[in-house]
Amino acid sequence: MNRIFKSLIRIFSFPQKELAEILRQPRLILTLVLGPFLIILLFGLGYPDEGRSLRTTFVVNEQNPLAAQVEEFAKDLGPAIIYQGIKNDQEVALASLALSQTDMVVVVPDDPVAKIQNNEQAQFLIYHNEVDPFQIAYIRSVGNLYTSELNRRVLASLTKEGQESVSGLNENLSELNAVSSSVLVSPFSSEFHGLSEVQYTPVGFLSPAVIVLLLQHLSVTISALSIVREQRSGIMELFKVAPLKPLEALISKYLSYILFNALVAAVLSALVVWGIGVPMLGNWINYALVLLILLFTSLGAGFAISLISETEIQAVQYAMLLLLASIFFSGFFLDLRLLWEPMKAVAWSLPATYGIRMLQDVMLRGYPIPLLVFQGILAIGIVLFLINFFLLRKKMG
Amino acid sequence: METSPLLVTRVMGIVNKIPLKRLQMKAQKDRDFELPKIIETKNLTKSFGDGDEVAVNSIDLYVPEGSIFGLIGPSGCGKTTTVRLMTGVYQPTEGEISVFGKRPAEFSTSDREKIGYLIQQFVMYPDLSVWENLNFAASFYGVSIFRNKRLNKLLDFVELSEHKNKISRFLSGGMNRRLSLAATLVHNPELLFLDEPTAGIDPILRVKFWDYFRQLQAEGHTLVVTTQYVGEAEYCDLVGVMYAGRVLTVNTPEELRRKAFGGEIVHIVTSERIEYIHRVHLEKLPFVKGNVAIINDNEIKVFVDDADSAIPQLIESCQEEGLDVQTIEKQIPSFDDVFVRIIEERGNHE
Repeated sequence: MNRIFKSLIRIFSFPQKELAEILRQPRLILTLVLGPFLIILLFGLGYPDEGRSLRTTFVVNEQNPLAAQVEEFAKDLGPAIIYQGIKNDQEVALASLALSQTDMVVVVPDDPVAKIQNNEQAQFLIYHNEVDPFQIAYIRSVGNLYTSELNRRVLASLTKEGQESVSGLNENLSELNAVSSSVLVSPFSSEFHGLSEVQYTPVGFLSPAVIVLLLQHLSVTISALSIVREQRSGIMELFKVAPLKPLEALISKYLSYILFNALVAAVLSALVVWGIGVPMLGNWINYALVLLILLFTSLGAGFAISLISETEIQAVQYAMLLLLASIFFSGFFLDLRLLWEPMKAVAWSLPATYGIRMLQDVMLRGYPIPLLVFQGILAIGIVLFLINFFLLRKKMG
Repeated sequence: METSPLLVTRVMGIVNKIPLKRLQMKAQKDRDFELPKIIETKNLTKSFGDGDEVAVNSIDLYVPEGSIFGLIGPSGCGKTTTVRLMTGVYQPTEGEISVFGKRPAEFSTSDREKIGYLIQQFVMYPDLSVWENLNFAASFYGVSIFRNKRLNKLLDFVELSEHKNKISRFLSGGMNRRLSLAATLVHNPELLFLDEPTAGIDPILRVKFWDYFRQLQAEGHTLVVTTQYVGEAEYCDLVGVMYAGRVLTVNTPEELRRKAFGGEIVHIVTSERIEYIHRVHLEKLPFVKGNVAIINDNEIKVFVDDADSAIPQLIESCQEEGLDVQTIEKQIPSFDDVFVRIIEERGNHE
């Protein structure tokens, strides 16, 4: 019994010490708790809830029959296009594009009617000066939208003219005459509905991912520095001689950082939900479970880094690499479904991938924790714990 | 912290009195050495790299239970490596080592609870207060949660009670050393390894540390203390003199002195000039060992087996030679001299 008590005393030796060390650094606490919240807040303030507006210049010949309609069509597309006027000279328009004075140059085809009559498509040339593939895709999509709208209007106009010319020729056409030309041209339309009744802003959608990423990074960094620092200071030598067992030391360290990081997670979550107003549709117990398993696994990754690092700088570098990998491969930045299949293995080796998937389900959809994903992160956490135990046992002799 | 010359003089006065006190305790110590050996090494060797960097070379020694064993030698001579071998931080490359009757690699938790280890550098947490550091040390040694009384007592001893809430990074070097010592004693260990406990601290505190080590010894603790202050050999029951990875000799401080100079030293000052013929006469005396050492025209050093019995006979011999003895006294050489002598002798042998 005495032995068990002594072991318990040893296990609880670190939480008190770690907490005292952290609390002694008010700036660190401020950074840890308020820092992530401020990042989400700034992101919310800075990220608009709509697509980018493209400053657009049109190049149209004065004799072109579409010249009068270009501006009207452009304005009908809403905020996607900011109409910057018409230029006659294409070179001048392209020069202003190169100087970033405009985002898109639309060259309207000369004599479109003649081309259509010749059974040819009248082609709009759209110029941009983007290098970002996502922005190029966005410009393509806006351009296609503009062309489709133009096609629809031309067709509607032609159909209306046709309807007027054939009226009274055939009774069978009377029903057709009753149908509006715009319905005839676009008989089908679509309306989108999500299963969730809540409409998320980009901030709302990204919040669970940001929470996961920040908590993973905090856990990894704080634990990555922990053992390597003790090794460098020389206290590890004392641990080697002391009755403290590697398993006790490891459990003690996990315990101390889980307690502290859980506190940070609780404050951060409260600020996000009640401060920014991000909806929380799921169960709070599930939410807490997701964060706990995320902390456990992330700490495991951090301790592993700490045990293989020779210096604190090396540990910080490894932690930064893990953060970078998490940004690109966890689904935070790019949808996982877009990843090349073999790369998905990289994605699913990161705690953040599991955390984001689970927290999005719990928080945004109100679902229970996806069991398979939970089992996956738990397995990684346990494997990391075992690896850390063997590495620490080796270090403590 | 600056120490005034007057203060140093007083402290050194106290230090110089200690050998006499210890000589009186010799009989007690002889009995102590019949106690069981708590540490024993045979041909203990530790090398690093590919084996070409030998830090500790074929050490044979033993530490009797309840003694203060000093490992003395210059920086880099292998003292810390020897302690690390004894505590189990390092595994020997060759030879055997036994602590509490077993190899350090086989230490159980309860064996480790009996060991206190003071590391050479300050390894406590600089952002924690004195109390928090001590409390943490008590925790990882598994000391009962009702430990406040003991911690306060230790802080009283190391005179840090007034500074218990001070953050360690703001303590002086000496205070940090005292805190480390308190942390080492927090679980009341049976066997203490103190690696350079007095390095970099002022003479007053050094004396205090040694006073406390003796208190610990009196309570039944065994202490292995390393130091590069050769003079501190005075405080030990047994001294292992280390040099270049080897233990040159292990003995009591008195025997070390005796062996280093081939006996005890008698210092003679006369009114007349001491001639060659006088010296030859003295060297022929049966109790005089080796040659008489000349200090100057009127001063010599004579090496004898037992100074106390030799002094009356030396006075008589001098008078026979027509020398008027002004002063004659037993000289106790400093351990710095003893150490240098032992190193030189080893050099001559090799």
